This record gives sequence, C-alpha cells and structure tokens, in this order.
Amino acid sequence: MNHGLKALAVGLALSVSSAFAGSGTTAEHIEAATAAYKKVAKETSYQWTVTVQAIKAAQKALDAGDDKGARELAHHAMALVEATRTQAKLESENWKMRVPK
Amino acid sequence: MKKIISHVAFGLLGLSVSAAAVAGPAEDRAAFQKFYENRFPDTPVSDFQNGVYSILPSARAQWEEIEEFPPYELAIERGEEIYNKTFANGKSLASCFGDDGAVRSQYPNWDKERGMVVTMELAINECLEANGEKPLKYKKGAMADVSAFMSYNSRGQMVNVEIPSDDPRALAAYENGKEHFYTKRGQLNFACADCHMYTAGNLYRADTTSPAFGHATSWPVFRSKWQAMGTLHRRFAGCHNNIRANPYKAQGEEYRNLEYFVTYMSNDLEFNGPAARK
Repeated sequence: MNHGLKALAVGLALSVSSAFAGSGTTAEHIEAATAAYKKVAKETSYQWTVTVQAIKAAQKALDAGDDKGARELAHHAMALVEATRTQAKLESENWKMRVPK
Repeated sequence: MKKIISHVAFGLLGLSVSAAAVAGPAEDRAAFQKFYENRFPDTPVSDFQNGVYSILPSARAQWEEIEEFPPYELAIERGEEIYNKTFANGKSLASCFGDDGAVRSQYPNWDKERGMVVTMELAINECLEANGEKPLKYKKGAMADVSAFMSYNSRGQMVNVEIPSDDPRALAAYENGKEHFYTKRGQLNFACADCHMYTAGNLYRADTTSPAFGHATSWPVFRSKWQAMGTLHRRFAGCHNNIRANPYKAQGEEYRNLEYFVTYMSNDLEFNGPAARK
C-alpha cells in the first residue's frame, strides 16, 4: 500500500470509528457496515474479501454474546469500506501512471 | 522560481501520463512488449509464451521434464470425448467449431452485432445452449478439458487479436481491460501490472512472478497448486483472491475485457496451450 493511501485509510478509519462509536446498538453498527459495503460495491465495483469476513465475524461475535468484540469488528469493517472507497477514488486516475510509454 | 519549475515539471508529467493513457492499442502493445524486452534482455521474444519459465532458467529444466509426460494429457483425451459427443439433436461441438476444434486463434474476438468480447469458453457454452445442451462451468472440469483439446489442436497458431477501428465499443472494451490491468485493487493494493510487469521476475514469498507478456497463450493449464486443470478466468479469480479483492464472475464482462487486453498484448506470439504451470 502506498503511503498516501495508507495515511488516508488510517485517517478515515479513525474518523469513522470515532463518529461511529457513540450511539446505536451493535446490531445497528453491523447493519451500517453492511449497507456501506454494498453501497461502495455498487458505486465502484471495488470489493475487498476481508470486509465481508469482518462483517460475518462481527455478526458471529454478536450472536455469541460478545457485544464489545462485535462492535469493534463492525467498526473495523466500516474502516475497510472507507479504505476501499478511497482506493477506488485514487485509482480512477492513478492507473494511468502505470501505462508504459 | 522553484515553484514555477515544479509546476512546469508536474504539467509535463501529467501530459506524458495522459498521452500514455490515451495512446491507441498498437502504441500500447509496442510499449508493452518493449518493456519486457528491456526487462528481460536474455529472453528471446518468442519465448515469452512459456510464462515464468521464459525468465527462470533454474525452473525451466524441471518444467521441460514435466512436459515430457504432461499432466494435461488426460484432460485432452477427456476433452476430445466431450467434443465429439453427440447432442440430443444429433449435432456436436464439431458442428460449431469444425472437426478438430482448432479455433483458438479466433478468440477472443469482437462481436460487432452484440457489441461484446467473445472468448472461446463463452463460445463453447453458447454452442451447447444453442443446441439445447446444458452449459458447462467456466473455471474447471469439463470446460477446461474441452478447451484443452481445442487448444492442443490449435498449437502453433499465432495470437492475432483485432480491435476493430470502426467500432468505438470495441475500443471501449479494450480500454476497460487495460484500465483493469493497471488498476490497484484489494486490501493488498496490487494491480496486475504490479506483480506481472513492474516486479515480474521478483520473488513473492517462494514464487517468482511471471511476465504478463505471453500470459494468454497457454490456457488452459494444469497447475500443480490446483492438481487439476483450470481456465484463464479461474486464474484471474485466484489472483484477485490473493490480493484480497472480490473476484469478478468468470466470463462476465470485466474478465472478458481483461482477456481481450492481455491477449492483444501478446499478439505475434504462438498459442501453445494447454500447459503445465506451478
């Protein structure tokens, strides 16, 4: 991952996590991450396998009664969604730099 | 002053990048092939059709021994049986592709009527369905076997993909495949070009990455990792999984356009499938 993308992803992850952490039930957080994942997939055709895994793991943790763990995983999934969105945005132009002349 | 220089330099960089991104297919291919010739000066151009073995002498001897008793031989035999099997309507795949099925060099092609790229595997299923038969799964099994039989009989044909200049939709499909090839995806943030162009020949863990020049000539392949045959679209999906990107649908538009681009980049090499790969 290049440094720009990494910094953006971390920044977005932190801002998303902090905006996200306060309110709503854990189930709502998982739903929000799922909806965001689907929205980015539809808008950009970019999807990361690890995002679905994180969402599934969050649901599994919630079902097992681990509310704190589930919430953390939901936030992680949301951060991955935001990083995917950032990647799609950057790559819409950056790919051109890799075409040999 | 410094600012002005950097702005001018940035502008020039932008211009050259834009020029590369909008160059026509012929210019793209010339630059693409030249890249590999410069990166691997000891590899004769015609040898790029042998994938990683064209640049990795240490593995080549072992591969040549494998090719003496090729692991795809049984797939060719199974494919021949399927190819000649009579459909319920009395026809067979030979009704669509001729007695020997040696049509590999006709694919992928641009279907002007439908405005889409048609690959050989797609054409096989379209033939089956047009004759009332069930289509085959695209990544492995019977499809890889039939494809192996047809590719074997096509050995020696030259790659000669055309991007018709009189149909802007063909150019758009090519450009879509090109963009896909150079675009980073997945959590690992890799483009096809990262592994198979700019770091081709480098080690990723224990594996040397193959050059993309020649990538499309040898399919389907018997891959040691799979211990089975697989099609090019199976490999595309495997690569996407490796970089933690969701794979696209085999024979969907995205992968057909990618195949159109990578095969066009290998124009003037020989089709030499099926093959054995690690």
